[in-house]
Amino acid sequence: MSEFYEGLAEILEVEPSKLTSDLALDEGVWDSLAIVSTIALIDEVYDRTVSADALSECRTVGEIEKLVGSDS
Amino acid sequence: MNRRNGTVPARIAAIATHLPDTVLDNDTLAADFPSWPAEKILEKTGIRERRVAAAQETALDLGCAAAAKLFATGTVRPDEVDFLLFCTQAPDHILPTSACIMQDRLGLPQQIGALDFNLGCSGYVYGLSLAAGLIAAGAARRVLLVTADTYSKYIHTRDKSVRTLFGDGAAATLVEAAPDTGCEIGPFVFGTDGSGAESLIVKAGGFRHPHSADTLIETEDRSGNIRSADNLYMDGGAVMSFTLREVPRAFRQLLAKSDTNVDDYDHIVLHQANKFMLDALQKKLDLTDDKVPRRFEDIGNTVSSTIPFVLAGLLEDGKLDAGTRIMAIGFGVGLSWAAVTIAM
Repeated sequence: MSEFYEGLAEILEVEPSKLTSDLALDEGVWDSLAIVSTIALIDEVYDRTVSADALSECRTVGEIEKLVGSDS
Repeated sequence: MNRRNGTVPARIAAIATHLPDTVLDNDTLAADFPSWPAEKILEKTGIRERRVAAAQETALDLGCAAAAKLFATGTVRPDEVDFLLFCTQAPDHILPTSACIMQDRLGLPQQIGALDFNLGCSGYVYGLSLAAGLIAAGAARRVLLVTADTYSKYIHTRDKSVRTLFGDGAAATLVEAAPDTGCEIGPFVFGTDGSGAESLIVKAGGFRHPHSADTLIETEDRSGNIRSADNLYMDGGAVMSFTLREVPRAFRQLLAKSDTNVDDYDHIVLHQANKFMLDALQKKLDLTDDKVPRRFEDIGNTVSSTIPFVLAGLLEDGKLDAGTRIMAIGFGVGLSWAAVTIAM
């Protein structure tokens, strides 16, 4: 389990084992606070800043990964 | 002014703070926002309760109350103040300047200068720079710096993105000339990026977008938050990105400019935005908990007063004795940021 997945599972409030690229980011969970937390997580793990706008457009975990450009 | 490294022989002689009476706790917020139980609000924001000004209570009132407490300590008398700086984004009127009204309310001499400046979370450090500059120029010896804000008046009750974070509050700081004491304020590092103006904004009510029927129209965002153009809007993601980009840079610039390293500081006092932002910043700056004092659990983010609230706590605990060196960094709406080294 990568550091990124662990952090993301916590932000999305799901079991780490349930977190896959296909997981949908439903509107109830993928709110402004989750986006803010994910920006901090990406910065911490990848030392990279992603745009809040682009992140808010993501609809699955896989789209976040694509945005980060990582293969985790 | 010590031109060698931009320091001014001045000191923070006293700080007093003031909060309005009304408490807004997480249980109340949880009742308004069912998707956010009280425990989740506390866990994420680190905030248990905030204070909210009464309907007829303004930032000017809160600031005057803080200043009155400062005078009550006996550190300085009103007639010894020779300049008043007031930082707020919620003035009593468009004009006159709130600081002028404050001069009269506080019984300060008529022979003093008084002005408002409009900054948010970076405001305290900017205020210190103005005070230090007046002292360095010989224009003043005792500057009363008052910070006060009432963001609650701008916040829509259905907007959890800001209602959970911000609290009203005020602080009064006495900055005085202190030659030959070893006390120093400065150097400073400043930053401004107006391209981020829309990230944290109350759009209507000025002359670009005067209040109208249109500015009252409420809209709901993806997260279910409701607001109008008359309300405070914060793009939390954009503010987080900005903070993680600029604060570490300002931190490093100040270390270089003051020819210091992290170990030279007893306390690094960051603007108390909220728990998740401070956690992220602290990790990024590689700072230990004992070096980064916090105060937001019981008051929330009080905008320009968060840094003096922390400093007041340190003073009370005897942690700002002579010889202590601290760094303060403010950052937020503008976008605007600033950092300073202070030798107590």
